[in-house]
Amino acid sequence: MSALEIRGIRKSYGSVETLKGIDIALQSGEFLVLLGSSGCGKSTLLNIIAGLAEATSGDVLIGGRSILGVHPKNRDIAMVFQSYALYPNLTVRRNIGFGLEMRGVAADERERAVNEAARLLQIEALLDRKPSQLSGGQRQRVAIGRALVRKPQVFLFDEPLSNLDAKLRLEMRTELKRLHQMLRTTVVYVTHDQIEAMTLASRIAVMRDGRIEQLGTPEEIYNEPATLYVAGFVGAPSMNMLQATVTGGMLAIAGSDGRVPLPAGYARSAREGAQVVAGIRPEALRAATGAATDMSLPVEIEVVELTGPELVTTARIGTQRLTACLPPRTQAAKGEKRSLTFDGAALRLFDPTTGKALPAI
Amino acid sequence: MSSTWMTTRAWLLMLPLLVVMVAVIGWPLVDTVGLSFTDAKLVGTGGNFVGFDNYTNMLSSSNFSRTLVTTTLFAIISVAAEMVIGVLAALLLNQEFRGRAVLRALMILPWALPTVVNATLWRLIYNPEYGALNAALTQLHLIDAYRSWLGEPGTALAALIVADCWKNFPLVALIALAALQAVPRDITAASLVDGAGPFNRFRFVILPYLAGPLMVALVLRTIEAFKVFDLIWVMTRGGPANTTRTLSILVYQEAFSFQRAGSGASLALIVTLLVTLLAVAYAALVRKTAGSAA
Repeated sequence: MSALEIRGIRKSYGSVETLKGIDIALQSGEFLVLLGSSGCGKSTLLNIIAGLAEATSGDVLIGGRSILGVHPKNRDIAMVFQSYALYPNLTVRRNIGFGLEMRGVAADERERAVNEAARLLQIEALLDRKPSQLSGGQRQRVAIGRALVRKPQVFLFDEPLSNLDAKLRLEMRTELKRLHQMLRTTVVYVTHDQIEAMTLASRIAVMRDGRIEQLGTPEEIYNEPATLYVAGFVGAPSMNMLQATVTGGMLAIAGSDGRVPLPAGYARSAREGAQVVAGIRPEALRAATGAATDMSLPVEIEVVELTGPELVTTARIGTQRLTACLPPRTQAAKGEKRSLTFDGAALRLFDPTTGKALPAI
Repeated sequence: MSSTWMTTRAWLLMLPLLVVMVAVIGWPLVDTVGLSFTDAKLVGTGGNFVGFDNYTNMLSSSNFSRTLVTTTLFAIISVAAEMVIGVLAALLLNQEFRGRAVLRALMILPWALPTVVNATLWRLIYNPEYGALNAALTQLHLIDAYRSWLGEPGTALAALIVADCWKNFPLVALIALAALQAVPRDITAASLVDGAGPFNRFRFVILPYLAGPLMVALVLRTIEAFKVFDLIWVMTRGGPANTTRTLSILVYQEAFSFQRAGSGASLALIVTLLVTLLAVAYAALVRKTAGSAA
C-alpha cells in the first residue's frame, strides 16, 4: 500500500486548467520533490494534498484512505510554508505545540513533544521567544518543529527555503536531509530550485503546465532527461542543445564543420537524414589535449568565467553556442580555437518537434 | 541653498495655515479660558472676574455628576457594541460570496449619511404614533400598545445608543476589514492544518492583526462618543427628565439656553480636559499595542 497516492488529479479555475491529470504513488519514507517554474501547478497540487484547495476531479489517498473532502486537520499531514507562517503573538514553545494544543493533548505530553522537537532542531534556547525575535533561519526551524511534533504520515513543504539567504539555504537543506534520514517520514516538497530537488529527493516530479513532464530518481532526471524541457531545467549551467542532422552514421552539427559519430545506441531511433537535438552537459566536455579524437568538436572560445571550482567557458561552434565547465587551471582565452571532447555515452538525442528524448538501446 | 533659508521658507509656506488656525481655534480657545473666569452673560458686557467660582460650582453640582455618568454610560455601551458589531460585520464581509462588493459599499451608508439625517430617520422609527419599531413589535406580539421610546426615561438612552451604533459601526467595520486584508494567507492555512476551530483561529491568527487598528478605532470612537451632541440634540434634546443629557448638551444649555456664557465656558473647558486625558491615555495604549505586535 502506498503512503500517498495521487490519482488523476485535475484542477480548473473557470476555463483555465492548472492541473491536467496528475498520477503519483509514494512509498512510505519517500522524499518526493515537485519541481517546476512558477505557474506549473506544483503549489496547487500541494494545496490539494493539504486540503487547502479542492481538486476538480481525481482522488488523493493517504495510507489507502481517500482524503478528499476531509478537513485539513484530519488528513494526518503537516505543512511547512515558505513564509514560515508562525503565529506572531505566541512564543516559540506554543507555536510548536499549537497543533497538539488544538487537538487537546495534555500539557505535560505536549511539553515533552515540544522539547523533543526543539532538541532535534537545536532551538531549545529559543523556546520562550516570540517569532519577531528570531532570524529567518530560526523561524523556519520553528515552522519545521511545528510540523515534526505532530508526527504526521506525510510532511508537506511549500518552498521552505526560498525566503532564506544563500548560505542559510544550504545549511537548512543539509539539515532537512539529516532529519529525513533520521525520521524516514514521507515528504512532498515543492521547489523551483533544481539543486534542492537533486540533493533532497528520492524521486523528482518535474512539472510543466499542469502535467508531470518526468517522474524519476535524481540520477534519472539528470542523466536520462525524458524531454528537452527537463534537460534544460535541471542542471546549471543548462545542458547544451545543438541542432544536428544524422548523415552517414555521423551527427553533423548545424552551421558548423563539427561532426561526431552517432552513438551506437541511437542507430535505430535516429534515422539517416533526421533532424535531432544533441544534448551534452557542460560538465561532460573536456578541453582536448594532443591529437583530436572522434568525439571532439572544434570551437572558438568567446567568454571564460572562473567561478572558483571551475572555469565556465562559452564557445561558438559555427553559428551555435556551447558551454563547458572545465577544470579551473585550464588555459583558455577569448578568441582561441580549441577542440572540446566528450564521452559518446554522455550524448543525449531529442526529437526537435516533439521535444522527447530518442530512445537509446 | 542654505538650510536656514529652507527652514524659513517652510515656515513662510505654513504661515497662512497658522494664521487661520490661530484665528479660528487659538483665539476662541484663549477667549474661552478668559471667559470661564467671569460671570459674563451671553449678551451684554464682559462680566466680572470671579476666579474659580464657575469651576467649583460646576464640579460640585449634581447636574454635572449626573451628566458625567450619563455620558460615560452612553460612551462605554455604544462604543463596546460598535466594536463587537463592527468586527463581526468585517468578518462576514471578508468571506467570499456573491454580492460582497455591493454589501461592502452599502455598509458604509449609515456612517456616510449626515448625523442629522440619521437622527431624523431614527426619530421616525421610534415615533410613538406611527413608528416602525412600534409596528414591528406589536405585530410580533412583543408589546401590547405603542410606546414612546424616546419619551420614557427608562428607554430613551438605550434608544439613542442603538441609533449611535447604527451610525458608527460601519467605521469600525471598515477599519477591521482593512486590517483583515493584512492577515497572511499562509498563517490562516497553517491554523487550518493545525486544527484550530473558528474561535481559536480568530483568537490566535486574526486578532493579533486586528488589535492595533482596532485600538485606533476605539480611541476615535470613544472620544467622539464623549463629545456626542448632534444625534442627541435632534432626537431628545437631552430629555426626558434630562436622562439623555450628555456633557456637550449641558454645555449648550448652560451657555445658550440659560445664557450663562462664563459658566458654560468653564464646563466646555472641563469637557475638553476630560477628552484630552482620554486621548493621551489611549495614545499611550496604542503605542504599547503597536510595539508588542511588531
